[in-house]
Amino acid sequence: MLGVDKSSLASLIMLLRDRGVVRVIEEVRVLCRLTSRGLEALSRGLPEEVLIEYLSSKGGVAGLADVAEALGDYASVALGQARRRGLIVVQGGSVRLVQDPVVARSVIRPLRGALESCSKLGSVEPGLLRELRERGLVEEVKERELVVELVEDPRSLLGRVRVEASRLTSRMLQDGSWRMYRFRAYNVEAEPPRVRAARLHFLQEFIEVIRDVMKELGFKEVRGPIVELELFNFDMLFQAQDHPAREIHDSLWVKAEPLDVTRLYSGLVERVAKVHESGWRYKWSPAIASRLMLRSQTTAVSARTLTLKPRPPIRFFTLGRVYRHDVVDASHLPEFHQLDGIEGDHGYTFRDLLGTLKEICGRLGLEVKFKPGYFPFTEPSVEGYVRLPNGRWLELFGAGLFRPEVLEMAGVDYPVGAWGFGIERLAAAYYGIPDIRILYTYDVEYIREFRVKV
Amino acid sequence: MPVLRFRAERVYELLNMEPRELSEILFRLKCESEESEGYLEVEVNADRPDMFMGEGLARAVKGILGVEVGWRKPKVVDSGFKLIVEDVPTRPYIVAAVVYNVNIDSSYYLEELIQFQEKLHEGLGRRRRKAAIGLHDADKMPGRTLRYAMAPIDVMFKPLGYTKPVKAREVLERDEKGVEYGWISRSGDLHPFIFSDNEIITMPPVLNSDITKLEVGTRSIFIDVTSTDLQVAEATLNIIVSNLVERPGAYVGIVDVIAPWGGPYPRLKPKIVRLRSVDVNRVLGSSLSDVEVEELLKRMGYNVRIEGEILEIEVPPYRVDVEGVVDVAEDIAIAVGYERLNPTLWQPGMRGEYHGLTRLSRSIRLILVGLGFTEVMRLSLTSPQLLETLGLRGEALEVLNPVQVEYSVLRPAIVASLLDLLTGNKHSPKPVKVFEIGPIVARVEGGVVEDERLGLAVMDDEVSYEDIQAPVYYMLRALGVNFTVRPATTPYTINGRTGEVVVGGVKLGILGEVKPEVLEKLKLEYPVAVAEISLGKLLESLKEY
Repeated sequence: MLGVDKSSLASLIMLLRDRGVVRVIEEVRVLCRLTSRGLEALSRGLPEEVLIEYLSSKGGVAGLADVAEALGDYASVALGQARRRGLIVVQGGSVRLVQDPVVARSVIRPLRGALESCSKLGSVEPGLLRELRERGLVEEVKERELVVELVEDPRSLLGRVRVEASRLTSRMLQDGSWRMYRFRAYNVEAEPPRVRAARLHFLQEFIEVIRDVMKELGFKEVRGPIVELELFNFDMLFQAQDHPAREIHDSLWVKAEPLDVTRLYSGLVERVAKVHESGWRYKWSPAIASRLMLRSQTTAVSARTLTLKPRPPIRFFTLGRVYRHDVVDASHLPEFHQLDGIEGDHGYTFRDLLGTLKEICGRLGLEVKFKPGYFPFTEPSVEGYVRLPNGRWLELFGAGLFRPEVLEMAGVDYPVGAWGFGIERLAAAYYGIPDIRILYTYDVEYIREFRVKV
Repeated sequence: MPVLRFRAERVYELLNMEPRELSEILFRLKCESEESEGYLEVEVNADRPDMFMGEGLARAVKGILGVEVGWRKPKVVDSGFKLIVEDVPTRPYIVAAVVYNVNIDSSYYLEELIQFQEKLHEGLGRRRRKAAIGLHDADKMPGRTLRYAMAPIDVMFKPLGYTKPVKAREVLERDEKGVEYGWISRSGDLHPFIFSDNEIITMPPVLNSDITKLEVGTRSIFIDVTSTDLQVAEATLNIIVSNLVERPGAYVGIVDVIAPWGGPYPRLKPKIVRLRSVDVNRVLGSSLSDVEVEELLKRMGYNVRIEGEILEIEVPPYRVDVEGVVDVAEDIAIAVGYERLNPTLWQPGMRGEYHGLTRLSRSIRLILVGLGFTEVMRLSLTSPQLLETLGLRGEALEVLNPVQVEYSVLRPAIVASLLDLLTGNKHSPKPVKVFEIGPIVARVEGGVVEDERLGLAVMDDEVSYEDIQAPVYYMLRALGVNFTVRPATTPYTINGRTGEVVVGGVKLGILGEVKPEVLEKLKLEYPVAVAEISLGKLLESLKEY
């Protein structure tokens, strides 16, 4: 009824008894049970029964050999039992029924009745039972029965009795014993043990969000070298070679053999020399352009991309590290990430550029304000200020249409707009981090515990 | 961007405006401004040196507001000064002019004049290398005939601020300005000077003499500009003259410069730019008519004549930054106001794409976080000492002009950054499992190589090779890489506990237990296992697959 296996039930009952919930009375009954021979006798008939019927069908007499054949394994037992009861005589190789079949049957009947009674677990006269036992037709079985009785009224008991378990286990589900348990209440207001998860870096996640925005707008990502030629970092961006911005105060140079730009980029170098000399009126030096530095702006990558003369319309972006000659403090790092984007086609205009900038800022959730600006490689130029969550405006990006000189050096004959901004300052403002150095913290726990911003 | 300080009351007087209003107009003129302790601090872009003085600022503001438009040539007279130019090979060009009735009536104005001169020196003058300016009290000039020539540095003169005359040589060797600027135009024992009636009035580009010192009360100013580039000299002179002549009642005195390239100066001749309004509209994406363009340009100080389809534009002489259509277009946009330009949404319908390394990195990052590794970020600039400890100093590319020694070399392996990071996490709960994806730069034979690398590190009370091997194998298999590993060595991992990952015969990376000697030197009291994989090479191998 409960659908529980016996051993689990038994131990449960003992448990209840120990708790004084129930009384257990053990009763031992002796029962008789039919053996396999007994079962055979029940269905086939006792051996002597079968003999009597056989002889009766043969007119009361049959040859011994025929009896043996007809009764098979029953034969010897049948002959022995029938002779003992004086029902047959065996003489000269034949077996003769000496009683009337009806009489013979009535002699066997009590034993038969006892067998049937046994099979139904009914009571049996001891003498007959003994005979059945001796003949191996029944066996005695002692049966232990537990009678379980509730000590008190069930209703009052249910109120007091708790068989509590703390954990629901697989074993309980498999054997159904979960039904016996009450699962005690937990203090859901208490703190759990600390879990320690691995996390992605919050600055890298921010960078990936920016990549997503650019990709969604249809920009193709490009990458360029960190160790860069002055040719791409400065000269292609129309920065004169004697300009103070190219001195050691702002950028970082490396101890490496300069490359030979006239050999590596001969066509480009010719155009660059021509544009610089007519624009700035000085003798342009390929040796200076060949010097290797750590790129100070990702616009160098944009410059490289343009020299490949991509077919318009174009939309490219790059996001990578740039390097500056800056002392590390709360708002400066010598190395940080910059995004640079370029787009263009025949008929592209300044208003188109403003539109793209507004769209990018909008997709980053930022309101933007434009201000006229100045960069050596763009005209018209624009600076973008964005409004932070705290209401303050932050100067974020510089942008503009590349100057005709830049396009001429690249060998491109359609207008191109360009913009760039530093990532770390924006990330720090976005996350409310006051000190930019925290973005590159040593502290792994800080990264793991960083609050996610949705 | 140069920051100029102007006495606030002077500016408000010139303009008769509220501070907030002024700040907004200046914003439209590329300037960020802030008032602080009675001074207006204005960030002026390097392309507008004409705005380095209060009068220049006021002129631009009045123009854009339509109060005073266009450009008018100032009143000009013959000053009677002659400037004879001799051969000065190191600094060949000199131009000069006089402005009468400048009237230095306050110390604030004098302060501003000096600031103006210095800012011009910095920018246009390329720190005085390209151009240098001398400002003199015209009435104190010893004589009307001036001579610009090289002279021996033993000559005596009384520099500005000195109490008695000294040899020029002494100035070059002892004076602060002498040391900073003396080398620029010196030629052996000779240096350029300007003489007035045989008295030295200036030693360009170093300093002036005391004789013609400017002070409160000076009425008229004599300006000289010496240079290695005639165009720059002329432009500089024009800017200065244009600002000084803005003073009430001021006018210009011509100086006769006697030289093969010489003539009367200043040459306040406007540059002419010819264009059509359609050219401007093409750049801006606007649809302005000729009349609208004319009106807007006049507010930016230009004079405009419409001749049929062509607009003949006179660029005022103080605008040295205007060359052609794009410069004029920008000024028109400024006059309209950038906030009124109505951005258009250009939608070429292109499909965006990430770089292969970005796609690969994103996949890797997610796998590694799933394996329990936290992402870290470090600079690629690092310290030579750290690399020395790891035996990687030899491969590192050095920075020639570092700011701090901690950032004076580039990491040739990303593991260096991870080990450095771990030294700051000794007391973190263990195990500490971290990874970083970023660039490295290394010196190789024949040059420099760059690579995008993945680095992993595990730090715990006990760490074995398997602790780094298992995650690396899992990751590579998840990416479908067909790799083998063979024994290898690195300078910082234990011999016999280091493996090299190879794909298609190419070395992809290493993994291994860090040497205890290294850990000890780093004062890391916990064992560490590391791995480093080249994402550049990994990407290549995946492409071929």
